Amino acid sequence: MMSSENTQFKDPLTSSYNKDIDYGELESLDLDASAKSEISVSRSSSLIANLSGYDDDDVDARDLFIVVDDPERHTGTMDAYVTFRITTKTTRSEFDDSEYQVRRRYNDFLWLRQKLEETYPTHLVPPLPEKHTLRRLDRFSPEFLRVRQTALQKFLFRLADHPVLSFNKDLQIFLTAKAWEFQAHKKQGTGLISRVSDSIHNIGSSYMLKNRNPDFAIMQEYILMFGEKLAVMDRITQRVVKEQTEYLSLLMDWGPIYTLWSNSEDTLTPALQAMSKAVDHWCQALKELVDGTEDNFAQPLKEYTLYTDAIKAVLKRRDVIQAEYDMTVDELNKKKDEREQVKISDQTYSIGAFLGKDPDEVKQQKQDKLEQQIQDLTHQMEALNDKTVCSDTDLKADMERWHKNKHRDMKEIFLSWADRNVKYYEKCLSVWENAVRVIQAKDPGTEPLQLNTQEDQSLLTMQDELSSPIMMKSAECEHSDKQENTKEERTQ
Amino acid sequence: MADEVPTYSPENFPNTPDEDPFENARKIGKTNLLQWMEITVVEPEKRTTSSMKMQDTFIVYLVETRITDNNIKCSGDGTTSLWRRYNEFELLRSYLESIYPAMVIPPLPEKKASYTWQNSATDKFDAEFIERRRAALEIFLLRVAAHPLLSQDKIFIGFLQKEDGWKDSVYATDFLSKGESRLKALNASFRLKKPDRRFEELKNYGNEIQCNIANILKLRAKLADRQYGIHKVHGNFGRVFCELSGIEKDMVDQLQSAGHYMNVYSEAVDGILEEEEQYSDQLKEYLAFGDSLRAVCRKYECIQYDVEKVEDNLAYKQNQKDMLGKTGGSFSLSGMKKAIFGGDTPEQREQKIKQLDEQIKQTEQELQQVNTDAQKFIDAALRDIDRFKRQKTKDLKEIFTNYAIMQIKTCKKGIAIWTSAKDCFAKM
Repeated sequence: MMSSENTQFKDPLTSSYNKDIDYGELESLDLDASAKSEISVSRSSSLIANLSGYDDDDVDARDLFIVVDDPERHTGTMDAYVTFRITTKTTRSEFDDSEYQVRRRYNDFLWLRQKLEETYPTHLVPPLPEKHTLRRLDRFSPEFLRVRQTALQKFLFRLADHPVLSFNKDLQIFLTAKAWEFQAHKKQGTGLISRVSDSIHNIGSSYMLKNRNPDFAIMQEYILMFGEKLAVMDRITQRVVKEQTEYLSLLMDWGPIYTLWSNSEDTLTPALQAMSKAVDHWCQALKELVDGTEDNFAQPLKEYTLYTDAIKAVLKRRDVIQAEYDMTVDELNKKKDEREQVKISDQTYSIGAFLGKDPDEVKQQKQDKLEQQIQDLTHQMEALNDKTVCSDTDLKADMERWHKNKHRDMKEIFLSWADRNVKYYEKCLSVWENAVRVIQAKDPGTEPLQLNTQEDQSLLTMQDELSSPIMMKSAECEHSDKQENTKEERTQ
Repeated sequence: MADEVPTYSPENFPNTPDEDPFENARKIGKTNLLQWMEITVVEPEKRTTSSMKMQDTFIVYLVETRITDNNIKCSGDGTTSLWRRYNEFELLRSYLESIYPAMVIPPLPEKKASYTWQNSATDKFDAEFIERRRAALEIFLLRVAAHPLLSQDKIFIGFLQKEDGWKDSVYATDFLSKGESRLKALNASFRLKKPDRRFEELKNYGNEIQCNIANILKLRAKLADRQYGIHKVHGNFGRVFCELSGIEKDMVDQLQSAGHYMNVYSEAVDGILEEEEQYSDQLKEYLAFGDSLRAVCRKYECIQYDVEKVEDNLAYKQNQKDMLGKTGGSFSLSGMKKAIFGGDTPEQREQKIKQLDEQIKQTEQELQQVNTDAQKFIDAALRDIDRFKRQKTKDLKEIFTNYAIMQIKTCKKGIAIWTSAKDCFAKM
């Protein structure tokens, strides 16, 4: 479908990536301008700044590249919604073509994630951004869509990076199927599995695990504490954003007061206007900081909270599987004990003998039944053992990868946050340096004072002397050296 | 204190002409005090006096002067020092305002703290508040000393140098009676027929500048509160980073260092906002100058009112004279009166006309005098207003520049802290 016209797509890692692009600095997308795919692809190359932050030795191994961009608003029969364009480029043999382009909406992503969780209960499936956020209430605003797009991109990237999940058939269909094919595929419900997994969930929670692998105990505790710290950081960030937003709105009212004042003045007008402009530029810089903090610091941290929730769920499922195995082992041992007991037992007073059967026959029957049960249980145990070992291995591998990625992500998130603050202060610095220059500039339009009378002369001398002692004394906190303020003699 | 430091203006005031440095300064052509004298409000001190059942605690400020020009002869070493409290400054200012109504009298620092934010010093016994008041009082004295007319005033000089009996000498001038009552001024402002547009404009300007500065200060206080909050919340990051370093084994040092920088950022706000108080104080002075401007306008209105009263009086008398001169002719009320009650005899009319002529001449002289006085006032006032305007431009430019420099300092600090934090993260 798409392969013929898909010439504009640029491989994100081979296109010229400028290492000087600021982390997290994204241009705002507006829905109208995103019609031109060229522009949006170059925009998304900065989105993929994330990608190049990762180890370069992984680059060559990758053979599945996915880009999410170009949000578009549609009006359906019941509601309005947004679709994103998903462009896939791959060399994998499982794919018929090397390039695909499809449109998907958020709910489609939800479906995909749920399928993956069902199919791989013991693998870490990356989280999706929240359906609603408190801050951005308009789900069609460019900022909201930009943030969501980044998160969806990250989701697909993490999937493509996963050695097991990336080969999933549902994912492939998600990336390649035309709209109606995809809808049909979605309708094929496999609710059975989810119901089964629920019931197993209940068993697991009530059964006390005997020998939990210490690795997983550590993992559990870590995830718990990490989740706590994330929650704390999220709260602090929300507070910072709130205070900075209020500060910004006050600041936006402050600049105009200087302008209003300049209406009453003549010689002071340039200075007042300089102040007003400086405050306005300050507002701009602050707004960028606040938006950047919200989009590129608060949101990613929230996402990691969702990630830790996902991990907790997977850990629980793993526990359930181990519980199943342990229960089976217990059951097996119980039956083995029973077998020993029956061997040495006397069936004379058993129920079967009471009903007229031969005690030896009863014994034999019981032994046969037990043998069968033991066989079945042994098979079951072996199967579950495999399952346990598999899921443990999967989880361990995923966790290792997750830790590495988390380290990188955390570094990136904090680094870009600090960098944004540095940039903010740098911007403000130049704003105020400029203001000083403007305020101190010699007025071009002042006439020289008419020094007609002696009184005027004295006015002039007095005025010159006034500025240094009075202003300097009030400008310095510390006791300025009084020698600075001695005046020269003025004789007439 | 005053006993230890030798003064050149002890009991007797003024000195003999030879010893009087002020005379000497005038002789060699100095036009204001600052050209040859240094004035400082050095330090505050708490004093308590008990009288009857009440205990009064107040702050006094040490006022010192020093002659800086070697050519001016004086006795002693040319320095003085004495203690003054705030209400003595207030007395001085009231005196100056009464005696020199054409001048824009510099304002005093506020009596009570205004436009405050959550951490600002509001109590008048707060060390910070006292220090800021000390600085402002010094500026007040410097402004007066720099004024060509005010700096020569004996009461002002006495304030600087004569501790004992100064208050009495102020009251002895009877300055209170020379001031205009507020009621008269209010009355005048409503009834003026031809007010000088320049003073109308000055009055409006005084109002506007007060309004604008008040708005700036009000908002600045709110901004200070917010800024304080923002910095302190970042301190919480410091804590959580340290906690995080407990579970992230491979980022321990980096997170702890970053946490440290968050704490530094949080603590930096105290110094930043303390410095910003200066900006607030400097603007407050100019806000108070608005009152000084309005005082000059009020005096003008009273003077103009007096002029117009005399003018009206003159016009009335001339009209009366005209009335008497008329003999019949068109209908008039006085004509009617004459018809009913009988008119004056020619002799009586002569008499009246002569009287009126006298009165008219007197009133004309009065008018001339009052006009001259008014003109003198207007000239002096406009000249001082011009001086004030130029001073204001210079001062405010410097005030804004200082504010910008403060912001520059804050930005540099911010850059340093966040760059250090960034380095920590880069090492993660």
